[in-house]
Amino acid sequence: MDDSVFNVNAIPQLSRCPHERVAPAASAAVALFISSFADAHMGTGLTGGFGSGFQHPLTGADHLLAMVSVGLWGAFLGRPLIFVLPVIFPAVMVAGAVMGMLGVPLPPVETGIALSVTVLGGCIALSLKAPVWIASLIVAIFAIFHGYAHGKELPSAADPIGYSLGFVLATGSLHVLGIGIGFLNHLPGGVRVTRGLGLFIAGAGAWFLYKALVL
Amino acid sequence: MRGGALPPALLCGAIGLALAFAPRRAWLPSLVTLAIATAALAVLLIPRKWLEGVFLGCWVSVAATAATVHLPRGLTVRSAVALSLNAGVWSGAEVGLAGSRFDIVKALVCILLLIPASFIVRRRAPIIVKVVASWLIAVAVLAATLQFLPVTPGYLPDHLD
Repeated sequence: MDDSVFNVNAIPQLSRCPHERVAPAASAAVALFISSFADAHMGTGLTGGFGSGFQHPLTGADHLLAMVSVGLWGAFLGRPLIFVLPVIFPAVMVAGAVMGMLGVPLPPVETGIALSVTVLGGCIALSLKAPVWIASLIVAIFAIFHGYAHGKELPSAADPIGYSLGFVLATGSLHVLGIGIGFLNHLPGGVRVTRGLGLFIAGAGAWFLYKALVL
Repeated sequence: MRGGALPPALLCGAIGLALAFAPRRAWLPSLVTLAIATAALAVLLIPRKWLEGVFLGCWVSVAATAATVHLPRGLTVRSAVALSLNAGVWSGAEVGLAGSRFDIVKALVCILLLIPASFIVRRRAPIIVKVVASWLIAVAVLAATLQFLPVTPGYLPDHLD
């Protein structure tokens, strides 16, 4: 075996040339610059928890469309459901989130969420005037599935209070957006636009359902 | 991290929403009661072992206070003061055990929600305040429940801490 391998005096010779000294340091600097934090520790702390919780309903098209639909259908149904539905939804969603964190078995959640988009979109498209208790029951059942998904995906290192604050606020804001879109109904031809939007949402829900059941 | 300003801030926010449904003459005594109770409990030496109970009390109070917006006749002067006393006790205790004195200021600022909330209620759109109150109830119920769940909450050290 070549003794020079173990020769300590040989080490300074490796860094005799300036560019040879710079290269490893530059590589390390570039590696540090382009690398991101470990995914497991993204969203830590109160603000991180809030951020990841707030993002959750907004990043999934299924959640987003269902939340907007709740507000929009409420706007179609008028008083008292225009405010009863956005009040019921977060309350029941929390029960679903707790079930998700506990790992309580539930029928396939993705199917339930896809069904919520289809049904709520369909109710808007058909301008369905459901009685208060039926509309509340429909929304409450679907809220369990959405809450379950949020609770199941709570990042283990995220601040749970920040996370819950984030996803509840995002959900509520989407309801308000739906109610806001519902004001189009007061404009000439506005009902056609909102019912068309309901049809689009129902179509998207059918696609989500197909993906959940077949693909 | 679960202490600090957030739980008392949400509690003060809930009081702000609740007071929007109370007569105006209830505002001053309620706010004074809230400030005195918060400051008094924050400096009082509370046993460390009461921490979990204080958090639970704080979150239950947020939910209960926010739920009063649904009372058909709103709050009376007495009930508004009693609710503020309750909020002050839990806020002060929480800050005393798991926060800094600056957190009291941050929390008490959230009482300013009273201004837009009362404006909205007087504009006959109380529904907006009720919807926001329902969000607070949802967060409080979830936060209270989390204490009893076998999840790895962010305020406990995990495998890298």
